Amino acid sequence: MWSQVKQELAQSTARFLTRFIGLLPGIAALIVALLASILLAWILATIVRRLLASMHFDQRLARWGFPSLAEWSPLQSPTLLVAQGIATLVVVAGILIGVAAVAPEWTSLLVQSVFAYVPNVVGAVLVLVFGSIVARFLSRSVLIGAVNLNLRYARLLSVGVRWLVVVLAVAMALEHLRIAPGIVDLAFGILFGGIVFAMALAVGLGSKDLVTKSLERDAQKGSDEHIDEPFRHV
Amino acid sequence: MQVEPIPQEVQEKIEVVESADLVVGVLAELNPESLVILCDALRTLSGSPRIAVLRDDHAVDPAVNIARTNSETAEKCAATFLVPWPLLRPDTPDTPMLSMSAAYQSVFAASEKLGARACCVIASKLETLAPDWVRQLAQPLLEDDVDLVVPRYARHKFEGLLNSSIIAPLMRCLYGRRIHNPLGPDLGVSRRLFEKMIGNDRNARMVGEHPIASLAPTAVCENLQICEVCVGARIYPPTDWMNISSLLSQILSPIFVDMERNAACWQRMRSSLPVPAICDPVRVSEDAGTVDISRMVESFRLGNRDLEEIWGLVLPPSTLVELRKLSRLSLEQFRMPDELWVRIVFDFALAHRLRTINRDHLLKSMTPLYLAWVASYAHDLETGGATALEQRLERLSLAYESGKPYLVSRWRWPDRFNP
Repeated sequence: MWSQVKQELAQSTARFLTRFIGLLPGIAALIVALLASILLAWILATIVRRLLASMHFDQRLARWGFPSLAEWSPLQSPTLLVAQGIATLVVVAGILIGVAAVAPEWTSLLVQSVFAYVPNVVGAVLVLVFGSIVARFLSRSVLIGAVNLNLRYARLLSVGVRWLVVVLAVAMALEHLRIAPGIVDLAFGILFGGIVFAMALAVGLGSKDLVTKSLERDAQKGSDEHIDEPFRHV
Repeated sequence: MQVEPIPQEVQEKIEVVESADLVVGVLAELNPESLVILCDALRTLSGSPRIAVLRDDHAVDPAVNIARTNSETAEKCAATFLVPWPLLRPDTPDTPMLSMSAAYQSVFAASEKLGARACCVIASKLETLAPDWVRQLAQPLLEDDVDLVVPRYARHKFEGLLNSSIIAPLMRCLYGRRIHNPLGPDLGVSRRLFEKMIGNDRNARMVGEHPIASLAPTAVCENLQICEVCVGARIYPPTDWMNISSLLSQILSPIFVDMERNAACWQRMRSSLPVPAICDPVRVSEDAGTVDISRMVESFRLGNRDLEEIWGLVLPPSTLVELRKLSRLSLEQFRMPDELWVRIVFDFALAHRLRTINRDHLLKSMTPLYLAWVASYAHDLETGGATALEQRLERLSLAYESGKPYLVSRWRWPDRFNP
């Protein structure tokens, strides 16, 4: 009996060693792929960083309306963020290639699912970018218009409009990414409705007197037409 | 500038005229009697020129028609043809600058078609109808070989404020000509100037959209002859306080665009020279009285509180500090120094060129600053008369001229002074 146990152990060990030896080339290939991708990522990141710095990418981004990127990551400029993003992508690609050397079927499944998801990611990013641009443009338009109309709550209106557009864009992006769609729908509805309701209350209650005076002024305008300001601009 | 095609329905109307030496576009709402007086005044021009008077299609009085006018003048003097003309195209947006530019384009189209030597546009109502001023507008074009005739309106203290605060002194500073009303709107243009404006090296679409803003700069930069004629006091439309920002944007945008286009020309100009004036300036009596500047000051304070972030993209920190100090002053002490105002105008012109922010946002955000200047100006002239007015405006013009080196430096090296 003891010899049978020893024989089984020897066979298991042999199978394990055979399997392990079979994996060694794949693991070696994985390590090589990883190291190569890290080196390539470093080279690409350096090139991209220098290229963007020469184009004054940070200043251009601020001019196009994206200074908030620096606020998201205060220690890193947009140039560094882009360079590091590209480096990360290269490293991930290297890992995938390395995994393909170990177990091709895993990689195939992983790559299929990743590439099927990429259009969603691209769509979400585009929605966020476009939403950010629109939010900034609309908030600025509202701010300037409200200030020129002498509305004291101009800043509140502007911030409200910006958050409305941002919340809408984020909800649309999450829908694209298919992340907890039910929860996102509900949260968006509550948040968006809450913002609109809060703004309506703020404007309605806050400008109650203003609206009253405005209506009184309009009603009085007909009888006071002879009173005219002296200023003529054009 | 691509001349606008003439609508088919009016082709037949001008075929009757065939050709003209002078085309006069009447945009002002003149009653038939005034129009007849105008035509009679034009007929006294020496040389008996053929004159086509274009009148807005919707305002034609059937009693005054081509046949009647022609029959009265067939035998002697100049032939004056009254032509109904859709000067304001149906698709022209309801905005003063754009509709005026469209009207000018219509007059240029008619002038081109009729082979005219010169054209005039009459857009203002005057407080006292002086038909002679129209003849004075046309005469230098036909007899003295002048290329651009600009009006010099009698000045009231608080009228034409945009012209007094920005347009006239800026044009004087940039182009070295002391033109009181460079944007007219009543102007006389020679064929030579008109043809210069549609030169090959210009962006046709840009020039075509706002010819009024380009006329005086083009005339100066091309070394053409300019003169002023003195007319009466103009009737200005009442202020629409809801739309001042749109007005500012519409009027300043083509001026700043033109500034960008003519940079090589105005950077060479060192000082300003007066423009020949045909007659003596007309003075109007002023009523001394207090004006209420509180609303304008309040607008400025609100703008300083809420728009500082936007102004910070355009104005240097030193200017922002001065504006903050200004916002803390009481109504009685409220004074915006001319040097500060001049720097603000220059900085906005530069930001317009660099597209620091959306151009429409940029110019609309300037509204509180403009109102601050108006309030300060009104404060200065509250009890002043005509002499005080002239002195005040001359002081402002000199401030623009002395601030020009600042503009040139920032224009040439914008990054060095980037706020």
